[in-house]
Amino acid sequence: MPIKRLLIANRGEIAVRIVRAAKAKGIETVLAVSAADRDSMAATEADRAVVIGPAAARDSYLNGDMLIHAALSTGCDAVHPGYGFLSERAAFAEKCENAGLNFVGPKAETIRLVGDKLAARALARSAGVPMVSGSEKVDTVDDALRIADEIGFPVITKASAGGGGRGMVVARSPEELRSSFDAASHEAKEAFGDGTLYLERFVERARHVEVQVVGDGEGIIVHFAERDCSLQRRYQKMVEEAPAAILSPALRNRVSQAAIDLLSPISYRNAGTVEFLYDEETEQFFFMEVNARIQVEHPVSEQICGIDLIQRQLDVASGEASELAQDDIIPAGHSIEVRIIAENPLDNFRPSPGRITNWSAPSGTGIRVDTAMTSGVMVPPYYDSMIAKLIVTGRDRDDAVARLRDALDSFVIEGIATNIDLLRFISRHPDFIENRIDTRWAERVLLPEFLSDKGAP
Amino acid sequence: MTNVTPEDVQALIELFDAGNWDELHITLDDFQLHLNKDPAARRVWNGGERAVVDTPAASVATPAPVAAPAVSATADATRSADYQIPDGMSVLKAPNLGTFYRSPKPGAAPYVEIGQKVDADTDVCLIEVMKLFTPVKAGVAGTIREILVSDAELVEFDRPLFVIEPDA
Repeated sequence: MPIKRLLIANRGEIAVRIVRAAKAKGIETVLAVSAADRDSMAATEADRAVVIGPAAARDSYLNGDMLIHAALSTGCDAVHPGYGFLSERAAFAEKCENAGLNFVGPKAETIRLVGDKLAARALARSAGVPMVSGSEKVDTVDDALRIADEIGFPVITKASAGGGGRGMVVARSPEELRSSFDAASHEAKEAFGDGTLYLERFVERARHVEVQVVGDGEGIIVHFAERDCSLQRRYQKMVEEAPAAILSPALRNRVSQAAIDLLSPISYRNAGTVEFLYDEETEQFFFMEVNARIQVEHPVSEQICGIDLIQRQLDVASGEASELAQDDIIPAGHSIEVRIIAENPLDNFRPSPGRITNWSAPSGTGIRVDTAMTSGVMVPPYYDSMIAKLIVTGRDRDDAVARLRDALDSFVIEGIATNIDLLRFISRHPDFIENRIDTRWAERVLLPEFLSDKGAP
Repeated sequence: MTNVTPEDVQALIELFDAGNWDELHITLDDFQLHLNKDPAARRVWNGGERAVVDTPAASVATPAPVAAPAVSATADATRSADYQIPDGMSVLKAPNLGTFYRSPKPGAAPYVEIGQKVDADTDVCLIEVMKLFTPVKAGVAGTIREILVSDAELVEFDRPLFVIEPDA
């Protein structure tokens, strides 16, 4: 059923993005905001904004009943959850549907299923994709050997109760695992008071590759190519690209097909992402997880595929997905997104909320900035500190990297600390320019070099 | 501003008292005079720099900005920032978004009426969120002077609901 009026249950740049996509489709918008966001850009642009609660997310953006009440009371027939907050809470999707509201996302049962490690494992197995991690906690050597056999060697043990290298041992064979398991467990118990371990496939130099898909909920699933999001700090993505330039055309087909094979059996509905760990040496993909929502980094896929994924989400929810055809999706060029964050990389990435006294974002050919910020706007301390996404697109990766450098150099944000200097440093780093990075590169190479370059201790 | 002297006000009150009018409102530039013979009448202003003349029959004058209209569909009227709390008055605001109900159940008498005395823990309304009805307490002991929302209206967080004149 076509959507007439949409409640947007989110904030920041994604709320702005959804308001605009809905308007382009002639859909009215109601934005649910916290008291801290009543004057936000999205609140101004939406047809109506309703203040649902105080600033704290648990009393506003995370209060599903209140959001549904707001949707029904304002005459909405659909709810877009954006990313984060309630976007992957199966119970919320279910409540929306029970209230007669069209949830712009996967079916509640799908969200529940892909969030369950055992069920997700079964999906991966049926698609013939190996898993990156064992789901169960491991107490004994026998358990460890059985699970290692399933995920394949080499494996790494990790402490259930904590990180920091304690309890972490790499084993390349059953013999190595047998001899090192007890020591690892003992070390974990010493450090965290709990000797429980779990196992992961060990990849020396891993890439994070993910596939963007959209399904119609009735079995048709198309992909919008893959993204490479290997540049991360503590599992937080910093830079995202599309396509994954390190992959050959054959490998790109393989990973996209794996994503479709994984989600076809459950007739996946709406936008989703299948995340893989990619081992450059062995050219193997390992399934990590399905993200049953639109993601922060969706714009790079939009740029190379020439589509609007949020509008596609609204199409699917409106039952107008008949246009989904793989042959129509022809990726071209290269796109890179960097996350601009209100944080200080020189002070252990401490968040830096406050008022933006001067904001001047770059513009021009191949430059896109998704943001809810402008001069004079307050970055509130209550939420995620991402304040903008800079997306540059060029005919190939080199072209995009050059454009990224120029765009970052002309980006001016004053009044608060940001990570722009660090992003500029990345855009000039030979490893990044030559695309020789992996998921641990930021911690191993980038940050030490950046801190020493800035003369920080 | 128009020069209204205390003698003028005194004369008006005497005329009002002697006559058979129940209510009188006068506005001259930023001077406002409200006279009412009902002791439960709404008092919008209480004290301040300007002279207030009280008589047994009358209440109050105010040069303060006029309060938001009782019911308004505009978003602005719902915003606490735009709502001027009358001096000496306490404003009870919505603790969260929901539907406002004046009565414990349909057809029942409202929890409170204008002019009614309340204690801090007197229930004054219900806020409903998805069939969950939560009573809201007055928060202060005093007298209900204004009810700013109509029954079954959607209220947003922080929306002023009641004006209560606290006990001295």
